[in-house]
Amino acid sequence: MTLNLAPMVDVMMCLIIFFLLATKLADLEQYAVDLPWAVSAREVDSSELGRRVTIIIRRAEDGDVVAEYVVADWDGRQVTDRVLTPAEVGRLLADRARRAERSDEKLRCVVRADREVMYRHIEVVLRACGSAGISDIVFPANQGQPPEEAS
Amino acid sequence: MRRSWTPAGDTVPNLAPMVDVIMVLLVFFLLGATFDLATQGVLQTELDPRSGPGGGQAVEINPQIRIGLGDVGHGRAALVTVNQEVLGRNAFDALYRYLDDRRRAGADTQNAVVIGAQTTVRWKHVVQAMDAAVRAGFENIQFAVSLRTPGQEP
Repeated sequence: MTLNLAPMVDVMMCLIIFFLLATKLADLEQYAVDLPWAVSAREVDSSELGRRVTIIIRRAEDGDVVAEYVVADWDGRQVTDRVLTPAEVGRLLADRARRAERSDEKLRCVVRADREVMYRHIEVVLRACGSAGISDIVFPANQGQPPEEAS
Repeated sequence: MRRSWTPAGDTVPNLAPMVDVIMVLLVFFLLGATFDLATQGVLQTELDPRSGPGGGQAVEINPQIRIGLGDVGHGRAALVTVNQEVLGRNAFDALYRYLDDRRRAGADTQNAVVIGAQTTVRWKHVVQAMDAAVRAGFENIQFAVSLRTPGQEP
């Protein structure tokens, strides 16, 4: 008597395809950023956020003097393969806002910033969002107290 | 020449090696998936519609509550003030209690709470201030930004 493994293989293949797609999508939005902590951070499904532009502000390798801006579209794909300047971020947000307006969709801006970057780098994005007419801003954060305070 | 096709009969392909490989892949993806996802959330804000679109013009907001954050020791701490009253270094719990008292005293939670931070304050401190306001029940959190001429970068 031999065990029929075909249904098991089917299920496992489905799981692998799921994880392959899910990890690829999560990749950019999870971009190696040490997020700040917030008790009131509300858990949301990424589909709830709808059409969005994600700005990733991470520390440059030489410390926190310069922040690096990486921009991802709503599908999680990086817009360019290089780090953008604040002026380019502003132009890009304006362009995406125009496109969203043409298709009559609400555009959100997700600001995924490293907790140790200076506020002025977030200010740049807030100012650009204001100029582009994007009012809905989302700040991802780890849920809970900062570890140094929780302990 | 005609070759007759013979059914495979009772020969069954051995799937065991394939199952082994798939199991290894499955375990890899399970472990590789970021478990942090479950512990992450978001804080949301709606910028004042009068702030754009356009050149990022100045808008006048008359908040009931204005939170100030000053940089102490190159990002080591933030000096928290609320409506000009100094609460102390990293006094986010005191800020929460202050805001909670204000809400209990009848403050309108729809009225803007404006956070104004020094540009060198670390983002984590700004988020802690925002967190305190959201926890206290305030829904309209605004950020004061310094006005710059277009094209000027930090």
